[in-house]
Amino acid sequence: MLTDRDILELNELCSALIDGRLTELQKERLRWWLANSESARRYYARMMSLSASLHHYASEMHVEVPATARHRVGFRQLLKLLVPAATVAAAAVAFWLVFGSGLSPVRQKATKHGGYVAQLTGVKDCRWESTIAPLAVGAMLRSGQQIELASGFAEVTFDSGAQLVLEGPAKLEVVSPWRAVLHTGTLKANVPPEALGFAVKCDVVEVLDLGTEFSLRVDKPGVADLMVLKGQVEAIPDTPTDREEIILTQNEVRRFTRWGVYVTPDVEQKFAKVVEPIPFERASKPLELVNWSFDELVGNLFQARSFGTGLGSPDAKVESASDWGFLDQCVNGVFGRALSLDGELYAKAPFKGISERRPLTVMFWVRVPQDAPLWGAYAMVAWWVNNPKLGSRPVHIGWNRNANEGPIGVLRTDYAGGYALGTTPLRDGRWHHVAVVLVPSPDPTAPLSAKQYVDGRLDGEGKPSPPGGAMSTEPNTVVSNTLWIGCRLGATGPRKDRFVGEIDELWVALEALGPHEIVKIMRENRAVIGELAQAQP
Amino acid sequence: MNDQIQSDSSPETQRQKLLVSLITQHQRRIFAYIYALVHNRHDAEDLLQETNEVICEKFNEFEEGTDFVAWACQIAYWRVRYWRQRHARAKVVFDDDLLSQVAQTLSTMRKELDTRHEALAICLEKLHPRDRELIMARYEPDGSVREAAYRTGRSLEAAYKALSRLRKLLLDCVTHQLAKEL
Repeated sequence: MLTDRDILELNELCSALIDGRLTELQKERLRWWLANSESARRYYARMMSLSASLHHYASEMHVEVPATARHRVGFRQLLKLLVPAATVAAAAVAFWLVFGSGLSPVRQKATKHGGYVAQLTGVKDCRWESTIAPLAVGAMLRSGQQIELASGFAEVTFDSGAQLVLEGPAKLEVVSPWRAVLHTGTLKANVPPEALGFAVKCDVVEVLDLGTEFSLRVDKPGVADLMVLKGQVEAIPDTPTDREEIILTQNEVRRFTRWGVYVTPDVEQKFAKVVEPIPFERASKPLELVNWSFDELVGNLFQARSFGTGLGSPDAKVESASDWGFLDQCVNGVFGRALSLDGELYAKAPFKGISERRPLTVMFWVRVPQDAPLWGAYAMVAWWVNNPKLGSRPVHIGWNRNANEGPIGVLRTDYAGGYALGTTPLRDGRWHHVAVVLVPSPDPTAPLSAKQYVDGRLDGEGKPSPPGGAMSTEPNTVVSNTLWIGCRLGATGPRKDRFVGEIDELWVALEALGPHEIVKIMRENRAVIGELAQAQP
Repeated sequence: MNDQIQSDSSPETQRQKLLVSLITQHQRRIFAYIYALVHNRHDAEDLLQETNEVICEKFNEFEEGTDFVAWACQIAYWRVRYWRQRHARAKVVFDDDLLSQVAQTLSTMRKELDTRHEALAICLEKLHPRDRELIMARYEPDGSVREAAYRTGRSLEAAYKALSRLRKLLLDCVTHQLAKEL
């Protein structure tokens, strides 16, 4: 019979075993338990069975991940073993359906893709494989989506900021903002500091970027060549004999195979084309931007600068319930002066079109006091969205004050149908750059995709909110078409909640900006229209 | 055409249909058995594939009406033993005696583990969405703790701790669920 303490220990040991981080000491302890206690063996069996079942259920829900070539060959061989003659065609079809299409419990995959995680940002003489629809520059790529390039070059920019140049023929799968799988072909990865930790995997190695440029080539299953062009990478071989990570630095080259890792002197020439600068065709973005610098308060107005929006000058008017005036509202900011919000003040700017369903990027610098009260979390910036699908609801950018949902003080965006939470603490008395990108999505279960960046690094993506009460679908005409700064928004106007902190250089783009564009504006603080499309890490 | 019809109903064809049906129906159970012995998804998948091949080769030895899963798990057990010889240093946690003891315990618990699998689906539904997301990101194909930590905005250490806590939570929930159904 196991005590509660025994169970806790066994749970720790089993979890460490499952996650591959069992220490020698723990290994000894687990062996002792299993050798000496039938109850412990039964607990172990239940825990391992639970883990196997979780693999099964997660596979069922997972987006499409094609089996590796290695697995496909195996199943075809098995098919040959099972159905040597055409006389059992029906059985063959059944078997192929079961195994070949991935309906096997451990390999079961849905055909549905996940949310947007990357974008095709450049093409050069691209010819796509006939098995997929041709992709245009600017195409958003979803988690689990594969791109198959027959020839030419394609540039894929991930939401983390990592950028891959693909040389055809090649097959790449975008997995997440932080991860890609190269099935075949050659790529060059350029990873800016904001995307540190980005990984590219193939069947024999996983390359974890440590701030660098590297090239990877997969000619055939089981063989991959890696060359570091700049900085360093951590390469983790995925072979039966070797799983020790290797740190490679500039100009180092390795060949990874199922049988081991080798130094090969003649690999550089294979990367000759992809490492050269490629004159990509890119989408030209006629950007529409508005900026409030908060450098000078004239009366109760902060002047706005508008670039290509046709909005005129949507100046922000400062409002307060008190009669103290606005004498101390300008403090030193990141660029010139900044707006100081004391828990009473807020500002609003007319912004025609902001309440419509469209892509939008909101960026600003913010400083939150270390001792900011919980009531001062909402909202740095807010606006109302009239969405026929999601209802008529405000978008609030603030910091999280709900400990049940995430760490207190991290960036939080609430919108109709979902919310996003970051991981970087903002409540530290320092200036941080914040950007929130909202993109309407065709997915009926998640009609809005949200991404947050803090100091240029991807810091939280939107997820659906738990089902709530009924909400109005009638467009709100009272608070719409206005950008609200420093207050929480209700259907009839600002609520009592006010943001406490300082805000500087607020930019709104009527476009979903990419990670490099956000970093460029963060660093240069200017309307880099025309340059943005060329923005490189 | 007649030959085809005759051929489709031949004993050999019927036997192969039975093989397809059994192997399909019980893949998850055989995988779970192997996984408990090698405790790594990719190794378990490779071994499942090897086991499937042996099952196909030796299916003429299987007696219809007897316990297919027990027979298949016996094949899987010997594939695991053979695999352990190849990876003796790097991957083996238990010695042969302990492996045999664990395999025996697994065999006696098959029915219970099946029921627990079904109950787990209900318990997963009950998890907080943030916790469920962590579990799914960890366990999806090619998932890892590192990836799950990134996706759910946790540090790596926090993700390890949360996963350990959630496994215990789910195990307890399944036990509670089964007790309720009795």
